[in-house]
Amino acid sequence: MKRTLPRSTLKSLVKKHKPQLRLGGNTDLLVHLNFLLFLFRLAEEARAKAVEEKSKIIKYEHVLSSAKIILKKSRG
Amino acid sequence: VRREKREPSLPSNLVKKMFIHYVKMPVAKDALEAVERCVNLYFKHLSNDLEAYVNHARRKTAELADLELLMRRQGLITDKMPLNVLVERHLPMEYRKLLIPVARSGNKVIPQKPR
Repeated sequence: MKRTLPRSTLKSLVKKHKPQLRLGGNTDLLVHLNFLLFLFRLAEEARAKAVEEKSKIIKYEHVLSSAKIILKKSRG
Repeated sequence: VRREKREPSLPSNLVKKMFIHYVKMPVAKDALEAVERCVNLYFKHLSNDLEAYVNHARRKTAELADLELLMRRQGLITDKMPLNVLVERHLPMEYRKLLIPVARSGNKVIPQKPR
């Protein structure tokens, strides 16, 4: 898997949410890292949910319920 | 069905690929869409949090310390799991070079420590 995102895309994404906020040098890389870890946590949680229900694939409900937990955990 | 006013988001196939890589299991189609929405929400929260930190410090620019604080509050960085280890584990080499200081000959440290 490609582990990089286009840096400018990531910057402009934060920019779109908060136009006044400036990102200092290399902070976008940490945003990227944070995003990867978020996705990683979400994936782990969803898989655990699916295994618990003996489902062979990740279903919509698994993602939804784990998203609730992980979004709560990743509040700043 | 046309979506009215698209939210700012990352390229969707990229997010999907990353998620599939991390779960190591087949994923239903609607589940992937849920992941995308979740990611959008995540970025919204993230930028809100960052703005709060930056305003609190009476700055206009987000700095590395802000992100570190954010990750500490998220429970990603702990005393046993420092930032540099996370960087080493998850980011590719070219990004790692930019983030972790390395001593070079002549007692030069690259990149320079932020003052």
